[in-house]
Amino acid sequence: MKWYDRITRIDRRIIYLLLTSLVILPFFIKVTIPQNIMPQTKRLFDFIEAIPPNDKAVMISFDYTPQTQPECHPMAKSLLRQCFSRGIPVIGLSFDPQAPGLAVDALTSIVNEFDSLATSKEDSLVYGVDYVYLGWKSGRIAAQLDMGEDIGGVFPRDYFGALIDSFPLMNKVKNYKNVAIVVILASADYPLDWIRYPQTRYGVNVAAGLTAVMAPKYYPFVQTGQVSGLMSGMKGAAEYEKLVLDHGYARALGNAETGMNSQSMIHILIMIFIILGNVGYFFSRRQKGADK
Amino acid sequence: MKRKIPLGICLIMGIMMIIQFFIPHPVSLGFASTIYKWVIVLMAFALVLAIGNLIRHHTLKIRKRKEDWPYSIVTLFGMTAMAVIGLIWGVDPDSLYQRIFLNILAPLGGTMFALLAYYMASAAYRAFRARSLEATLLLISAFIVMIGFMPFGQYVHTRFPAFAEWVMQVPNMASQRGILLGVAFGSIATALKIILGIERSWLGGKE
Repeated sequence: MKWYDRITRIDRRIIYLLLTSLVILPFFIKVTIPQNIMPQTKRLFDFIEAIPPNDKAVMISFDYTPQTQPECHPMAKSLLRQCFSRGIPVIGLSFDPQAPGLAVDALTSIVNEFDSLATSKEDSLVYGVDYVYLGWKSGRIAAQLDMGEDIGGVFPRDYFGALIDSFPLMNKVKNYKNVAIVVILASADYPLDWIRYPQTRYGVNVAAGLTAVMAPKYYPFVQTGQVSGLMSGMKGAAEYEKLVLDHGYARALGNAETGMNSQSMIHILIMIFIILGNVGYFFSRRQKGADK
Repeated sequence: MKRKIPLGICLIMGIMMIIQFFIPHPVSLGFASTIYKWVIVLMAFALVLAIGNLIRHHTLKIRKRKEDWPYSIVTLFGMTAMAVIGLIWGVDPDSLYQRIFLNILAPLGGTMFALLAYYMASAAYRAFRARSLEATLLLISAFIVMIGFMPFGQYVHTRFPAFAEWVMQVPNMASQRGILLGVAFGSIATALKIILGIERSWLGGKE
């Protein structure tokens, strides 16, 4: 077998072994490569920076699933760190039935992180005052539209069964007029519904944190300003982590940084294999032409 | 009559929902709010129907000992266990329900999705060939975006990330916008056909 044939027939087990090694490596060897921040990520960060503390709320729609947790979970955590550090109230909700477990996990871990650093009771985060998680609701588009009139009408109780009228935060936030922006963290086409319906009808600002596969579809909406900012995949999450760290809202970079290193290593490996495959293909084709 | 009444309801409701969307009067807003609540309840019923269907499908599979029937037991057991645990002990952050979700379901989901990386790497190596001009262009643009979006893309060339961003912002956006417009026009046409009773497949049964 010629060398060019050999490089087009590498055993897939070797590819899998290399892939596994390169995914694991960044978890043991920590390397911090500076992120070049994409403009749409910066736009979202700046938008939230411009919201006055204790004024309008940020609504986070947790619509990602365990399958896409590595990409979207760090986004959620960074976003929560920024909001809580700046004293911006957060209202969480979900339209994907798999999401509530992850939403509760993101909220609990960040609240615990802030509470462990709190020096007084006023510094700690209080459920119902600083944040609320409304849970999952069926009839996505109808619910999104109806929240423009009355959030309490759609979610009379929160995820844990408490009446939302009992929360000071929900007495302040009645509908989209009291919401500065809705950030949809999703692994499916959920942001499109928010753009098409509640934004068209009520003019609510919409931003998104999406898996890398989904993000290219939303570039036209970023350009028109319908989407006020976009975190795109693991890269977007790592960028947001960097922005949050640089502004002193976090003490260290999170999982997206490590994930991004793993992803970069795999991308390099895939590119090397594609090049090898194409070099082999080119030479074997040339040889066949010469043989004829 | 069985077909005319649903068609009539569809026509009236369709037109009314279009009108209310463009007239934000308290009366139309109140009407829309009531309809939205009905939709939410109806969708919840669809979920009940889906659960019923799932139970029926897997019970039949177990009873008839069809291929891979033991997996159906796992499905039914998992569904019942999660529902019972959630209903009895709640869904608080420290609850058993949440612990099962985070420690069993989440890693399983992640593992299944992670397998994609292996298939993608293997498939890209075997199938991603510059066989034609179009395939070569696809290959080049994929390389530009991949390198540009990697953190060290900026070390390959300082303008690489900006170039990758241009690929996303201009050629990608142009094609995405074309697709979106096509889908939008298609959706409008389909919606009008349904409202006007031209498209009747949603009624089910024969014409």
